[in-house]
Amino acid sequence: MASATNSLRLCLRTSNQITSRLRTVQRRQVPLARRALSTSQARWAAKEKGKDDEDSEPPELKYYSSFNDPGEAFRNRLKDETLSEDDRATITGMLEEWQLLPQQKKGDAERLKRDINNEMSDLRRIINPKRDAFWNDSDEKDTDLITDEFGEDDFEEDDMLSMSHGKLEEHREAREYARITVWEMPLLSQFARPFQPPAKEDCLRFRYTTYMGELHPADRKVVVEFCPKDVPGLSEAQQLKLKKLAGPRYNPEKDIVKMSCERFEHQAQNKRYLGDTVSKMIETAKDPTDMFEDIPLDTRHHTFKVKLKYPKEWYINAKRREELEALRKQSLLLDEQKRATGGLIDGVSIIKKNLLAAVEPEPVMELRGGPRSGKVRR
Amino acid sequence: MSASNCLRCCLLRPSASAAAAARLRQGMPLAAAVAASFSTTANHSANAKPKPGTRAAERNAPPSIRQGKLFTIKKKKKNDSGARVKSPLPGERKAFRKRILLSNTNALPVPGLTDLGAESMLDPSNVCKVLSLPDDVIDQLRADEAFKTTQCWSMFRKPSMLIRTETVDLITRMHAAAKNNKTLRLVLTGDRVTGKSLMLLQAMTQAHLNDWLVVNIPDAQELTTACTEYAPILDTEPMQYMQQNYVLKLIQAIKKSNEKLLLKLTTVFSHAGLPQNIPIKSPLMQLANSAKEAEGAWAVFQALWQEMTAQGHGRPPMLLSLDGLTHIMRISDYRTPAFNPIHSHDLALVRLFTDHLSGATSLPNGGAVIAATSRNNAPRNPSMELALAQREAEQLGGGKDVPQPQPYLKGYDERVEAVLRNVQVIKLQGLSKLEARALMEYWAASGVLRITVDEKSVTEKWALGGSGIVGEMERASLLTMRF
Repeated sequence: MASATNSLRLCLRTSNQITSRLRTVQRRQVPLARRALSTSQARWAAKEKGKDDEDSEPPELKYYSSFNDPGEAFRNRLKDETLSEDDRATITGMLEEWQLLPQQKKGDAERLKRDINNEMSDLRRIINPKRDAFWNDSDEKDTDLITDEFGEDDFEEDDMLSMSHGKLEEHREAREYARITVWEMPLLSQFARPFQPPAKEDCLRFRYTTYMGELHPADRKVVVEFCPKDVPGLSEAQQLKLKKLAGPRYNPEKDIVKMSCERFEHQAQNKRYLGDTVSKMIETAKDPTDMFEDIPLDTRHHTFKVKLKYPKEWYINAKRREELEALRKQSLLLDEQKRATGGLIDGVSIIKKNLLAAVEPEPVMELRGGPRSGKVRR
Repeated sequence: MSASNCLRCCLLRPSASAAAAARLRQGMPLAAAVAASFSTTANHSANAKPKPGTRAAERNAPPSIRQGKLFTIKKKKKNDSGARVKSPLPGERKAFRKRILLSNTNALPVPGLTDLGAESMLDPSNVCKVLSLPDDVIDQLRADEAFKTTQCWSMFRKPSMLIRTETVDLITRMHAAAKNNKTLRLVLTGDRVTGKSLMLLQAMTQAHLNDWLVVNIPDAQELTTACTEYAPILDTEPMQYMQQNYVLKLIQAIKKSNEKLLLKLTTVFSHAGLPQNIPIKSPLMQLANSAKEAEGAWAVFQALWQEMTAQGHGRPPMLLSLDGLTHIMRISDYRTPAFNPIHSHDLALVRLFTDHLSGATSLPNGGAVIAATSRNNAPRNPSMELALAQREAEQLGGGKDVPQPQPYLKGYDERVEAVLRNVQVIKLQGLSKLEARALMEYWAASGVLRITVDEKSVTEKWALGGSGIVGEMERASLLTMRF
């Protein structure tokens, strides 16, 4: 990124003519571009040769009538009363010189003027565009089209692909938006105002939709929200009646009545209708003839969200830790007591004990009279 | 003949095949021909053709050409395997399904297990103790159908129960009501498998031990799901219906369970319209025995009821208990002759129970009317649920916490709300750690639970049981294969 000094140097380097005019620039009130940093060349309007160095003001456009000869022109000039003394003297001198010229020379000037006009007449002629001549090749050749006829479509290695042109175009678009962002959007801060919360009487909250300039069928919808508690001058019973009148438009959890209207063509009409409806509802709510006491408030249209809260007693803190420790100590004590008295029951050992006790040695059959006494003799 | 025979010819050896081909041309079946080569005895094989002219020949004769081909559906023979299987007799499967096993000799006898006494369940020092049921009470409870197949009686040697704080509470209330000749009207509620039916059983045990009369309806579902016969009781407005078959069964159960008492007590009224004439001062057992058929059962039951609830005359207090309250708090599945649905409170037996539960009629000699709700197979009943929740909240203090009926909900029943307006409610929750420990020690001592019962394991099973719900603890400890 070029520093400020660098860019200044670059700007100064572009033109030698500028250096002499730096002093005069301060006097003028030409609006300078307010950019401190710029890498693009500063280009000034091209100067005409023969004009005074001092006279660097943008030329004032004056309408000059065509004169036949310079004498007329000088005389005309002298008529101007705003001329300074020096200028008047110069022009008078020039007029006298002209008058002293021989007649032939004067005629030369006139002839020269006429010749120049004739030569330029072609250029000055108004060219009307032919109706069908754009697309078709008419017999009259398009004089604006300057073509060589040969080698027109040869690629001279001097161009990029149209895709690259497109990429540059994108870049240009990005720069366009960047320019707007940096230079114009900060000016929006002029519109910033401090936030004023709505007053207590403004219990209605309207919502509008815009599609940023596009015409959309949904941009005529207006939505209004209000809380029955905020409506001034309603008693509890009247508020309840209002809620019953609202029906499914009433959200019992948030305690808000929400209504919308899009039956008319304009936002203002819909808003007006909503305002009228709300007024009617409030009026009916205040009407004591029928207070709907026997009709309970219907909340079937709304499913209440059950918000489960972690019980406070379950939170772990030092006190709770102590309690749990005490409980555990107590239970361990109980265990120890039982172990000491032999009351701690172990299922496995009980089963084993019982199984061992159940296995009794079976009586072995023995022969009376000792062994071999009952031997069978064959 | 058939294609298979032809194939067989091809597969046989050439010499054999020639012979086979020759036999085929003759039209004889191959097998028969082989057997009959050198024998003079008649051919008795199944394939042999019957003698022409006999009845067998007529029966088995192929249909004549004129008859044409017939389309016959052959009957499929069941169980062609040949094994002889005896199918169970009607009612056997049901009996097998509903059998109650109360003793298992594989379980170990628990040393130091004492029987329940008449006052055991009143004693608060018996809380967190496991006590066994005396044998005669077991017989009575079996007749009452108080034991359920889903309970784990079949794992232990002797049926025993844990005495909980709620048990002592309930029995104290029963005792107090009976002493003042009042009727305790109570509903046992709670989550599933928290021990409601068992608490009912404990109430029945107490009643039997103290010589009360016990009338138990083991499953209220049977009364309202239109599975027993019913008939209108004439000249009643609005029309009431009786269920004679069920009542007959109930009378048999009352007879068996209250045998001693019924033999002791005698009738004080004379009843007309009974199948047998029962004079005054005859034992109530005789009155109960007179119900032999479904036809006169309802009259006998009414007479019996009148006798059992006669004021004074030495009649003991009565316990009227029911399991599955939701089923009698809804419109039953029965229909009137005009095909309109019948509300369960129009069934006479159900009406009897609900009148006593609501307090419209009281037991003259004191006693208790206890109903238990069931979470298993119970239709939702908004009126009953609301009423019980309200009674519970009122018992806890009431005020703002008492639930209100939803304004736009349909299905509320005025009659149900009227019945449950003044009942007491005991909500059963999980066991305490000490109670759980006592129970687990009993299990371990029986050899059914193979762990050391220390604080750690008790806390473990207690937590697995969802903070000590008995049924869940059982599932986690007794009914798993894990060790």
